[in-house]
Amino acid sequence: MVEIAAVAIDAETLSTREVNALIRSRLQGGATEIIVENPNARHNLAVALLQPGRVRFLGSVGYYCGGLMDGAEIHVQGSAGWGLAESMSHGSVVVHGGAGNGAAAAIRGGTVVIHGDAAARLGVSMKGGLVLVGGDCGYMAGFMGQKGTLVVCGNTGAAFADSMYATTCYVGGAIGNLGTDAVIETLTPEEAGMLNGLLAEHLPPAVRATKPAGRDFKKVVAGRKLWNFDKHNWKTWQDAL
Amino acid sequence: MKNEASHLARPLLQTSGTYSPDVMQGIHTKAETGIYEIRGYGTLRPRRWATFDDLTFLPCGLTRIPLEGYREKCSTRTVLGGRFAKRPLELEIPIMITGMSWGALSYNAKAALAKAAAKVGTSNTTGDGGLSPAEREFARDYVYEVLPSRYGIDVHDLRGASAIELTIGQGAKPGTGGLLLGSKISETIAHQRDLPVGVDQRSPARHPDMLGPDDMVIKIEELREATDGQVPIFVKLGASRTYDDVKLAAKCGADVVVVDGMEGGTGASPAILQEHTGIPTLAAVCEARAALEDCGLYGEVQLIIAGGIRDGVDAAKAMALGADAVYIGTAALISLNCNKPLYVEDYQALGTEPYHCHHCHTGRCPVGITTQDPELMKRLDIEEGAERALNLLRAMTLEIQMLARACGKSDVHHLEPEDMAALTMEASIICGVPLAGTRKVFGR
Repeated sequence: MVEIAAVAIDAETLSTREVNALIRSRLQGGATEIIVENPNARHNLAVALLQPGRVRFLGSVGYYCGGLMDGAEIHVQGSAGWGLAESMSHGSVVVHGGAGNGAAAAIRGGTVVIHGDAAARLGVSMKGGLVLVGGDCGYMAGFMGQKGTLVVCGNTGAAFADSMYATTCYVGGAIGNLGTDAVIETLTPEEAGMLNGLLAEHLPPAVRATKPAGRDFKKVVAGRKLWNFDKHNWKTWQDAL
Repeated sequence: MKNEASHLARPLLQTSGTYSPDVMQGIHTKAETGIYEIRGYGTLRPRRWATFDDLTFLPCGLTRIPLEGYREKCSTRTVLGGRFAKRPLELEIPIMITGMSWGALSYNAKAALAKAAAKVGTSNTTGDGGLSPAEREFARDYVYEVLPSRYGIDVHDLRGASAIELTIGQGAKPGTGGLLLGSKISETIAHQRDLPVGVDQRSPARHPDMLGPDDMVIKIEELREATDGQVPIFVKLGASRTYDDVKLAAKCGADVVVVDGMEGGTGASPAILQEHTGIPTLAAVCEARAALEDCGLYGEVQLIIAGGIRDGVDAAKAMALGADAVYIGTAALISLNCNKPLYVEDYQALGTEPYHCHHCHTGRCPVGITTQDPELMKRLDIEEGAERALNLLRAMTLEIQMLARACGKSDVHHLEPEDMAALTMEASIICGVPLAGTRKVFGR
């Protein structure tokens, strides 16, 4: 396939269906990078992209940008609304601003990087992949997380990592409070090294320098008291149910 | 001297109406386990509410002309989702297989149902955990459920579907998520759902990326974007505040609304939710139709009714009251030998008997339907099960046609409320049809 240089799409006068159709056809045609001008915080952009290739939005996007994606690389040079990259299988989504509620909800794989802050329920029901937030996150981040890795460089809101199965969380700042069945576990040197590597890979050097060192992150996992009912843990279940 | 009282006044056993044996047993169990009862199947309560049995058809006499029962055509073709979808779902019959998860059901059960549905020309629905390999291989048309849990969600499977069903609730337990106990979270099921093996999986009640109807408008559009607007988007509701919920679903852009009444089944749920939440299917279909009529979308948005549809009679009555199609779940499982007196000792080991079993939650289904145990699963032969389910679907279709022809209809979708009379005042009030023996619709 012949590689085609960056292609620009002006979304100003197009419907969302037309924008998405153009992105898909350009990617299928071999374009390696698509620049979308004037996204104007519109919902459902770049949904269900199934081809590899980079899509760059020059501005903010609305709900579900990159939702149900498998394999593409999305950059948002602005902020994102709710449900960023929800249910993504593979690929990556990078948001240079902040993200609304439920970012990376139910992702099964891939990488979501939010350079700014994330709102409530970050990584809710995530089933794999990596979520990395440069700033803070709102309440109930990691709620019901099943697998994957959630990294928050800043502070978290309340009920962090509530009712999780097997997601592993790392927090560089202060934890608002721990959710039901969330426990802090000792960070290993290997994990500190892994975190340093992730931050170096996903954050610009100048930004990385402002974030905590890998060894200063707190590790949060499920206490596994909610995995199977036990009447002796009644208080935990009362809080959870 | 003989004690005369001993043979004259043998004491009768008296049973408390308040603390009946089942209530006492429930208290004993809670006192032992510290948790509410969890079980499968659906409500076990005696049906003291208005049901489809409280209606009777009014076949033709002199005022209407019947169709010949065995000779004249009566169409069963069913088209769903023409409101916005470029490719509406076209089915040969108005009976569809409802969403039941691979996990709650065995591979063999999913395979048998998918084969039967394909052969008769109807759809089956995925369930929590996504598309099973059985459905991928055997289904003709599958409806892909997008559930709050998003277990096993896969965009490729979603795009391969003939319709998408955005599930908000389930009739057996509206307002709560699914439950799959650790005994059924085998390695295969755990892998499919991205869960640790053996956990008690408690599915979320809310979608992770939307809350109310304002978000749902955008969510429905997202699903349309993901499928290029090709296939219909269903919204499934557990029957609760049905009138308002159906209006909202339709106004949010659903092509089809599915309403699942309180007689609906479940693989595992707290018993109190099955017994004490939601409204009956008969009431639900009437509220749903009224909602669509009142917002001017009746006929444009199709209505699928689910929840305790046992036979063609229930289906025909639901359709006469406004449904375009029905879902069956429990009846389909019964066709696969659920509760049949086979392997009786295994029913007894569960503390039950054939025809009384509701132990789907244990994963020890004696007939291989609601289990992940490979040995138990073998008891359900896929080909034999498919044939039985196919026969049920065909027989139910014939029943619907028989009633429609008797009422003078050349299409089962032409059945209407005036083809029926109510046998009870409650049914008359709920359904808006006259009480038999009167010309009066009570409550109007």
